Amino acid sequence: MSAPDSAHAAAAGIRLASLPANIVELAALRSRSVDLGRLAAARGLALADFGHITAQSPGLTLSVRPRRWLLLTAAASGQGGATAWQEAAAGCGVAVDLSSALAALVLSGPAVRDMLARSCRLDLAAEAFPDGRAAATIMVQVSVILAALGGAMLLLTPATTARHVHEWLVTTSQPFGLALAPQLSPADLSGDNRV
Amino acid sequence: MSGPSRIARGLLTDPAKAVSFRFDGRTLQGLAGDTLASALLANGRRLLGRSFKYHRRRGIVTADKGEPCALVDVIGEAGREPNQPATAVLLSEGLHAVSQNRWPTLALDLLAVNDWLGRFLPAGFYYKTFMAPGWAWERVYEPLIRRAAGLGRLEGRLGDHAAPAEIVHDHADVLVVGAGSAGLTAALLLGSAGLRVLLAEQDIVLGGGTLLDARWTSWRADACARLASLPNVRCLPATTVLGAYGHGTFGALETLTAQERARFRGLRERLRVLRARRVLLACGAPERLIAFPGNDVPGVMLAGAAHAYLRRYGVAVGRRPAFFVNNDEGYAGALALAAAGIRAAAIIDARPDACAAARAREAGLEVLCDASVSGVLGRRSVRGVRVMLPDGVSRSIPADCLAVSGGHSPATALACQLGAPLRWQEAIAAFTADLPAAAGRSAGAARGIFGAAAAARDAEHAARALAAELARPAPEGAAWLPWPADPAATPVRALWEVPGRGKAFVDLQNDVTTEDVRLACREGYEHVEHMKRFTTCGMATDQGRSGGLVASAVLAAARGVPLSQVGQSRPRPFAEPVPFAALAGGEVGSHYKPRRRLPINDWHERAGATFVSTGLWLRPLVYSAESGWEPVLAEARAVRRAVGVTDVSTLGKIDVQGPDAARFLDFVYANSFSTLAVGRARYGIMLREDGMLFDDGTTARLGPEHFLLTTTTANSAAVLEHLEFHLQAVRPQLDVVLTDVCDQWAQFAVAGPRAREVVACLAGDLDLSNHAFPFMAAAEASLAGIPGRLFRISFSGELAYELAVPARGATAVWEAILAAGGPHGIRPYGLDALNTLRIEKGHVTTAELNGNTTAADLGCAHLLKKSGDFIGRTLAARPGLLGTDRLQLVGVRPADRSRRLRNGTQLVTSAARSASLGYVTSCTPSVELEGWVGLALLAGGRQRIGSRLLGVSPVHGETTELEIVSPHMLDPENARVRA
Repeated sequence: MSAPDSAHAAAAGIRLASLPANIVELAALRSRSVDLGRLAAARGLALADFGHITAQSPGLTLSVRPRRWLLLTAAASGQGGATAWQEAAAGCGVAVDLSSALAALVLSGPAVRDMLARSCRLDLAAEAFPDGRAAATIMVQVSVILAALGGAMLLLTPATTARHVHEWLVTTSQPFGLALAPQLSPADLSGDNRV
Repeated sequence: MSGPSRIARGLLTDPAKAVSFRFDGRTLQGLAGDTLASALLANGRRLLGRSFKYHRRRGIVTADKGEPCALVDVIGEAGREPNQPATAVLLSEGLHAVSQNRWPTLALDLLAVNDWLGRFLPAGFYYKTFMAPGWAWERVYEPLIRRAAGLGRLEGRLGDHAAPAEIVHDHADVLVVGAGSAGLTAALLLGSAGLRVLLAEQDIVLGGGTLLDARWTSWRADACARLASLPNVRCLPATTVLGAYGHGTFGALETLTAQERARFRGLRERLRVLRARRVLLACGAPERLIAFPGNDVPGVMLAGAAHAYLRRYGVAVGRRPAFFVNNDEGYAGALALAAAGIRAAAIIDARPDACAAARAREAGLEVLCDASVSGVLGRRSVRGVRVMLPDGVSRSIPADCLAVSGGHSPATALACQLGAPLRWQEAIAAFTADLPAAAGRSAGAARGIFGAAAAARDAEHAARALAAELARPAPEGAAWLPWPADPAATPVRALWEVPGRGKAFVDLQNDVTTEDVRLACREGYEHVEHMKRFTTCGMATDQGRSGGLVASAVLAAARGVPLSQVGQSRPRPFAEPVPFAALAGGEVGSHYKPRRRLPINDWHERAGATFVSTGLWLRPLVYSAESGWEPVLAEARAVRRAVGVTDVSTLGKIDVQGPDAARFLDFVYANSFSTLAVGRARYGIMLREDGMLFDDGTTARLGPEHFLLTTTTANSAAVLEHLEFHLQAVRPQLDVVLTDVCDQWAQFAVAGPRAREVVACLAGDLDLSNHAFPFMAAAEASLAGIPGRLFRISFSGELAYELAVPARGATAVWEAILAAGGPHGIRPYGLDALNTLRIEKGHVTTAELNGNTTAADLGCAHLLKKSGDFIGRTLAARPGLLGTDRLQLVGVRPADRSRRLRNGTQLVTSAARSASLGYVTSCTPSVELEGWVGLALLAGGRQRIGSRLLGVSPVHGETTELEIVSPHMLDPENARVRA
């Protein structure tokens, strides 16, 4: 942050990858957040605190709305289906499949936060938005969820506007040096596999 | 030799790098690092333009962006950029600039006749002179005045040279505005305390006033190096903070370097939105002019500018300059020029004596104290000055330029925008503005503390206070080299105007004279804001930086009140002109607005669909590139006679779950949903709080505590917001979870007499018989092998099913539908055909559901619950919403079936009667009925069914006799949908 934008050599680059994932939104019924947390823990997932993202096998959990969590697991894993969660959470929560509703992208590289500042009003400096933080905001007139994890930035956006966001990211990233990277899976953002 | 020339090496110029440029067609040479203004001065050019109104000759007045006179057109790859201050245009190889507001040439401008006619053209003359005849103002007077006045001209070519632009959001604990000794000191201290600091400086280099004093060179270099080593401090040179907007938000405009321009695809300016917890304003104090006759002649400039041209670019503004000052700072340029071998003709000081005067005399310069300049000799450029001596004797002194310093006015604009009141400071003859502590601090010259060392000391105190407030106390001791001491100084003596014959200007850009200000006062515009608007003083691109306070002082004298009572006009953003491209940022062209694409958008494209934008959505209008109605009617005909399929994924879909889901829906809908059985759907209407109809749609019950609510495409986001508001704020006791699943589900309507056969091929073992799966049934189902949902609902008026599948599997299901429907002649149909079908059936969309209609107006009053609360219930019962003469939904058909209908056609009883009884909201040629059919909103419409009215379309010059019919023009018994 000490240097002006020009200090980022174009070669430093931004890597942009898509992240196909099963996405389930868990919502706790009134006063049942703790029960839902226990249920998730029993299934091997720690629900992230509000405004945070956690990564652990088998995937990611993040929370940008009170009493709500998004669970991201590998698209082909067969784990974390909404139906299974709905049955398990009956009485304490609601599970809705959003796998088709949200598109997930992963941006990495030293200039990512500078590039995102071209539209994102959030303070994305590492000290203000460190690894593990997540937030919902508006970028390029579209609602997005941003989460910092493993040195990368996870970006979730509605599927129907994903192409618009993607095109903007590609255009805006060019001066920083853009590389389109192979698809990632949620596991790539956790543990030793971090991008 | 006389006139300006380059005499030394400047701080910013590189003598080894010559740069060619053109001005008014003539090729000249400058140096890398020059501005256009410094290069022109180095080439001996003083005359750069003509003034706004009088077309008087104008030269260079300042050395920064606040230049009022030396404005030029710069012609480059991006087109012609008018009104660029030559003082801020960096010289580049091949730069092409031309002077503006002259005809035919700069030297011979025929419109300079305005100057001779000046006595007939005072401020506001056109308000009084061009009163009659009234029609002539727009046709004659205004066009003529606009041609004669103004400065640069915009390129006629529009729209194809939009420069790339971007808006960047920055955040900091403290924003430091200005990087002079005060700003640098504050940034260093705050940075050392660990605070995140943004240091914005409008100059291309950091240093401010210290750049003009060689004693500060090592201090400045050391400070800049220390700042560069602090990772939490970010320096933004060439960045002007344009305005303060409260809550710690500031706008700033950055001018990019050539290197940055190349990297960012030719980007020239970058608009920065800065957000900071506190601000430290160290933005200095611009020098002001003195009003005296001829103070606009080329060669008259500010003393600080004369100093800056010498130090920064090695350019002497004259061989024999005179100085006219009322403060010690004004001597600095004369002393620096003397050291460089240019001896001032004289220094005329309005004060009886001064410390600086003694230093000047020691340097061998002539100082005339207690004297003033009462006029300038020369019209084309300065040839000398007429000096009024204390004994009343007038003396002419030959000189080739005149450097003026009327004191310094602290830059208070940002502070005022943050709510700081102006305070008159007699000691500095200027206003200051103390920031509210919650916003930040002002420091140094910005709050009237003059002298680089004094300003730095003041900034240190302010920064320490800010650091403590932000819980990051600064380390004790100085983190910088010792400050060079300020020389002893004698206070400024207020001097605003020297009376005399001839025009004395207070606003050089808008040609406002002292006499104009007095005229404003005589005409009753006594308030400074009224005077500003009457005279346009301070409304030019320089925002009255050098003459605003002088105008206030002239006004105060005219009113006979102290200047403190008059004040200054309120400064508003922007501080300098901002290109529209910078305001638009990157949201132009294909990024102008988001495009929502359907899950099978690519299939629609491949099928040759013509798309239409509806809100943000791109929807297939018709699967044909042909214009006209025939392709549309062919699609609609397929639905009426066999089967068709359309993509209705744009419908809003909201998942409603929880123990209180049914109660919540009973509250938000005007009809009841708690009685809906699992596996069934129901049409519902939703009212706004004011009782007007808000939205409609079908809601299916998927489980005892699980509903899927659909909305119109247009109201999708608004309905979700409405529901969230009422759940969180009005019925917070209800345990309900709302989830927007619009993008999750693709939804396809299969409609037509053969729909059942088609869907049966896809729905596996699901029994689709009328008994097992009747109209308004809903079920989870495997559709073409993909888990989804099946609804038997109809918008077309035909037997229809809607298949919902997760968007990822949408293309496979859509293609399976087409394959299954192939033997039945299935056709995909677009939005136009959908519209045709729904109009025939009498179904409403946003054309009728327009925010001004009630449930009763649209014939849905029978749906309103008789008991129980729901949103809008009370206000829907207002007498005004119950009248039978309200606009009500009806169907319309031309009596002559060969005539067409048009949307917006007004309904009247006779051609002679102009009062409209209503209008056609939607119309289409019919595939089922003869001719055109339409829907209309008609006063007392239901009572007029069976009558005839005239439909008048003045836009098309058409009058058509219309039959008023039931809106349900097709299958009113709903036999088809229940087939």
